Amino acid sequence: MLRDWLSDTWSDMRYRFRALFHRGAVEQELEDELQFHLHQQAAKLEAGGMGHDEAMRRARIAFGGLDRIKDDTRDVSGVSWIEIIGQDLRYALRGLRARPVFTASVVLTLGLGIGANVAMFGIVDQLLLRIPPYLRDAERVHRVYLTYTNRGEDITESTTEFTRYLDFGRYSKSAEALALFAERRFAIGAGEDARELPVGVVSASFWGFFDAPPAAGRYFTTREDTIPEGAPVVVLSYAYWQAQYGGSPDVIGRSIQIGPMPLTIIGVTPPGFVGLADEGTPVAFIPSTLYAYGVSQQRRGRINYYTTYNWGWLSVLVRRKPGVSVAAASADLTNAYRLSWELERAISPLPPADSARPRAAAEPVVLERGPNASPVARIAAWIAGVAAIVLLIACANVANLLLARALFRRREIALRIALGASRARLLTQALTESLLLGALGGVAGVAAAQWGGAVLRAMFLAEPGDASVVRDGRTLAFAGIAAVVVGMLVGLVPALQAGRSALAASLKIGSREGTYQRSRARTLLLVLQGALSVVLLVGAGLFVRSLHNVRAVDLGFDVDPVLLVMPNLRGLQLPPAERAELARRLVTEARSMPEVESAARGISVPFWNNEGLGFVVPGVDSVGKLGRFYVQMASADFFRTMGTRIVRGRPITEVDRADGQLVAVVSEGMAAAVWPGQDAIGKCIQIISSRTQPAPDPCHIVVGIAENIRQNSLTEDQKLQWYIPIEQRRAEEAGVFVRTRGNASAHAEAIRRRLQRLMPGAGYVTVMPMREVMDPRHRSWQLGATMFVVFGGLALLLAAVGLYSVIAYAVAQRTQEIGVRIALGARSRDVLGMVLGQGLRYALIGIAIGGVVALWMSRWVGPLLFSVSAKDPAVYAIVSGVLLGTAILASMVPALRAARVDPNVALRAE
Amino acid sequence: MKDESRLDLPQGTLDLLILKAVSIGPMHGWAISERIRDVSRAALQIPQGSLYPALHRLERRGWISAEWGASDNNRRAKYYQLTRSGRNQLQLETDAWRSLTTAVSLVLDMG
Repeated sequence: MLRDWLSDTWSDMRYRFRALFHRGAVEQELEDELQFHLHQQAAKLEAGGMGHDEAMRRARIAFGGLDRIKDDTRDVSGVSWIEIIGQDLRYALRGLRARPVFTASVVLTLGLGIGANVAMFGIVDQLLLRIPPYLRDAERVHRVYLTYTNRGEDITESTTEFTRYLDFGRYSKSAEALALFAERRFAIGAGEDARELPVGVVSASFWGFFDAPPAAGRYFTTREDTIPEGAPVVVLSYAYWQAQYGGSPDVIGRSIQIGPMPLTIIGVTPPGFVGLADEGTPVAFIPSTLYAYGVSQQRRGRINYYTTYNWGWLSVLVRRKPGVSVAAASADLTNAYRLSWELERAISPLPPADSARPRAAAEPVVLERGPNASPVARIAAWIAGVAAIVLLIACANVANLLLARALFRRREIALRIALGASRARLLTQALTESLLLGALGGVAGVAAAQWGGAVLRAMFLAEPGDASVVRDGRTLAFAGIAAVVVGMLVGLVPALQAGRSALAASLKIGSREGTYQRSRARTLLLVLQGALSVVLLVGAGLFVRSLHNVRAVDLGFDVDPVLLVMPNLRGLQLPPAERAELARRLVTEARSMPEVESAARGISVPFWNNEGLGFVVPGVDSVGKLGRFYVQMASADFFRTMGTRIVRGRPITEVDRADGQLVAVVSEGMAAAVWPGQDAIGKCIQIISSRTQPAPDPCHIVVGIAENIRQNSLTEDQKLQWYIPIEQRRAEEAGVFVRTRGNASAHAEAIRRRLQRLMPGAGYVTVMPMREVMDPRHRSWQLGATMFVVFGGLALLLAAVGLYSVIAYAVAQRTQEIGVRIALGARSRDVLGMVLGQGLRYALIGIAIGGVVALWMSRWVGPLLFSVSAKDPAVYAIVSGVLLGTAILASMVPALRAARVDPNVALRAE
Repeated sequence: MKDESRLDLPQGTLDLLILKAVSIGPMHGWAISERIRDVSRAALQIPQGSLYPALHRLERRGWISAEWGASDNNRRAKYYQLTRSGRNQLQLETDAWRSLTTAVSLVLDMG
C-alpha cells in the first residue's frame, strides 16, 4: 500500500515537474502525439481508397478542435494553479515596477521594520532562548541556585564551593548526574603575544551532559579529575584548534602553557561546542581539581578547597532523574543544601539553618533566564517588544499606502469584475502582491539586520562573536516567517476592500466623494500609529533621562582618561621586595611615556573590587557601627591620576615611605562620620593587624581629606573611604593606575607593549581602560536610551509619513469641495486651518491613547530606570509636543496645497 | 447527427477500457481507440477529445507509463503501457465493474 502510494505520488510529482519546467518539450510532445493520431487516421482512410488531401480533411473533422483537446489535456496535467500564481506574480511585479517610488518606500518601510525584528530576535534568541549546543536531555538539565536569608535579606547565588558540590553529590537523591563548571581567564601563549582568554574549568562529569563526541582525541575522565590534584591535561575548543593549529590532528599529546601550567592536549571539542559559555566562549577546558589545587597552592594559606567552605567559585549543573518534577528536584536539593549547611556550621561560624533558611532551586541552564538575570536581558526583551511595535507601525503604513492605491484602482477593479474576474481571483491577486512586498521587505530586512545587527550585538552581548544573520538558520527562519506574516497582514485590508468593492457605485463617474468616506480604516491605522509612537517616545524620554542621570552621578574620580595595568607573574614566585620593585618600575616606565600624564599604584579598583581593614580610632567607640569602610592603599600621585580632589590637607606623596611617619587620607564622609564637628586632620587611625594581638598598630595620622567617591554602586551612597600609603603596608601589591592624555583606550595597546618588556619570565601585563569597568554599569541605560530613541524616531518618522499620505490623499479627494468653499468665500486661512485641524485631531487622539498606554505600562518600566519616575510629567509633555509638532509639519504641505486650490480649475475638473 | 449504433460511456469506464487495452502490450493513442472500436464491434467509439486527456491523466496517476518509439510505418509515436500499480488498478476496476453489472443484471432480470 505504502509503496504504491509512494510510487503514485512520485509519478505525479515527476509529471507535474516536467509539465512545469519542460513546458516547451511537453507541448511539442503533445503536438506530435496528436499529429500522429491524425496521420494514422488519414492513412487508414487513404487505405480505404480516399485521396490524401480528402483523407486528411476528414480525419481533422473527426478529430475535432485540436486546440481544445490540447487545452483539456493541459488541464489534466495539473499545472494550471501554478501557472495562475506565476501569472499573479508577474502581474504584481509589473505593477510594482511601474511605480518604483511606491515600491521602494514600501520595501524600505517593511525592510526597516523586519530588519529591526530580525536583529533583535537574533539577540534575544542568543541571550534567552537558545540552549547550549549539544546539551543532552536539555529539559531535565538545570543550573542550581542557592538562596539564604541574611539579616532579613534574601541572597541568591549561582556560585558555590567545591565542598558544597561534593555535598550535593552525596545528599541529593533526585539528581541523575551532577557536574560543576566555571569560567576563568588565563594567559595563553608567551611574551608580548600572551593573551588572557576564557577557559572552562569543568568536572569530568560535565562531558556526560552533552552529546558531543570529541572532534579529536578524548575528554578527561574522573581519574584525571581527582582530589586533591587533577591531571595536567586540557581539551581545546574546535575554534582554537583551527585558529592556532590549523586543525592538525597531531596536536594530541602536545603541550600548551595555560596560565602558570604546562598542560598536555588530550582532545578537541566538536565545532560549535561552547560548554555553557557564561562569560564568553572558552578556548579550552581543564579539570576542575587541577585548577582548584593550583589556586589552593597559590594562596599561601593553602585553603583546603574540598573540605572547607570559604571559596565559592563554581556553578553546579544537575540533570533530574526521569520522572522527577522540577519542584521535587528543588525540594531534594534544598534538603541536601540544609545538610551541607549544618556541616559548614560545624567548622565555621554561621547562623543556624532555621534562621538562614538555606534553599536550593533547579533553574534554567541559560543564565539570563535564571533568577540572577542581568538587566541587559530584560531590556533586550523590552527592545524586542519595541521592535515588534515598530513593525506594526510599518505594517500600518504600508497597509495604508496599499489601501490608498486600492481606492484609486477601484474603477480598474470594478471593470475587471464586470469583465468576469472572480472575487477570489482578485483576492489572490491582491494577496500575491502584498506577499511579494513582504518577501522583498524580508530580504531588505535581512540586509538591514546584517549591517545594523552587528552594532546591536556589540551593544547587547558580552561577546558578540562573528555570528552573522545570513548564516544563522534560526534567525533566517524567523525573517522568513516575519516576511510572510507581514505580507498577509499588510494585504488583508486592501484585499478585503477589493473583495467588497461595489460594482455599480464604482463604475459611476464622479464617485470620489463616496470613496473618500470609506477611509475610516485608514484613519484608525493612523491613530494607532500615533499612539504607538507616543508609547515608544515616552520610553525613549525616560531612558534618555535615566542615562543622563547616571552619567551625571559624581563618581569622585575620572573614568575616560584612566587605564588599569594589572601585572601577572604567572606562577613565578618572587620575594616581596622584588615584586614591590617591579611595581615601582612599572610606574616609572609608564610616567616616562609622552602620552601618560601620571601614574600611581593602588590595590583596589572602584566598581571592581574593594578592601576592608579593621581599625580603631582613639576616643571613638566602635567605628564598625558607622557603616562599612573601604580602604585604598595608594602611592604618590594616586589622587592626581584618578582625578579625586583633595579637599583639605595633602595627598599621599613620595615622602610617605615605609620608614616615614604613618599617614592616612580620609574621605569627607568618613571625616564627618568619625569625627563629627571636629577637624579630622591630625587625628589617629590604628589598624588592627590581627585579632589575637590585643594591642593595635601605631597611629596613621590623618594628613588630608579627599572628596567622596563611589565605590560599588551608582545608586547607593558609600562615603566611608580612607587611604594609606601602599609603601607603608602592602608594598608588594602590583596594580597600577595610569592617567593618559586624552582618551585612555587609544593608548592602551602602546602602554601594554611598553610595560610588557619589564615583566620577568612568562609574566605579562593586562591593560584595561577604566571605561570598561564602568561600561557594564551604564550599559542597561545606554542600551535602553539608544534603542528607544532609534526605534521611537523610526516610529515617529513612519507615523509622520502615514499622516502626510492620509492628509494629502484627503486633500486630493476633496479638491472639488475645497474649490466650492473657496468660491463661496472661504479664505485660504480657513482652508489651511481646516486641513491642519484634521491632522492635529488625529495626533491628539493618538497622544491621548498612547499616553494612557504608556502610563499603564509604567509599572514595568519603572524598575529599569535610574532616578526618574516612569510617570515623569516633563517626558510626557515633551513627547506630546514633539508629536503635535510632527503632525503640524506632516499636514502643512497638503494644507498649503489645499489653500492654494484654484476654484476655477477645481470646479472644471469634473 | 448522432450515430444510433454507438453507446455513451458511463462515467469512469473510459479509464477502465484504456487500462484494459494497454494491458495487452505497449500501444499508441490511435491504436488504443482503434482496438476498443474493433473489439466492441464499433459500438464504443472514443472521441479523441476525451482519449488524450484521459491518457495524460492516467499517466499522471502512474497507472500507465509512456515511451516514444517507432510505429509500424516508422513514425515517431508515443506508446503507453501498464505499470505495476496500473495493473492493480485494472484488477480493482474490473472486479468493481463485474460486480456492478452482475448486480444490475440481477435486478433487471427479476420477476
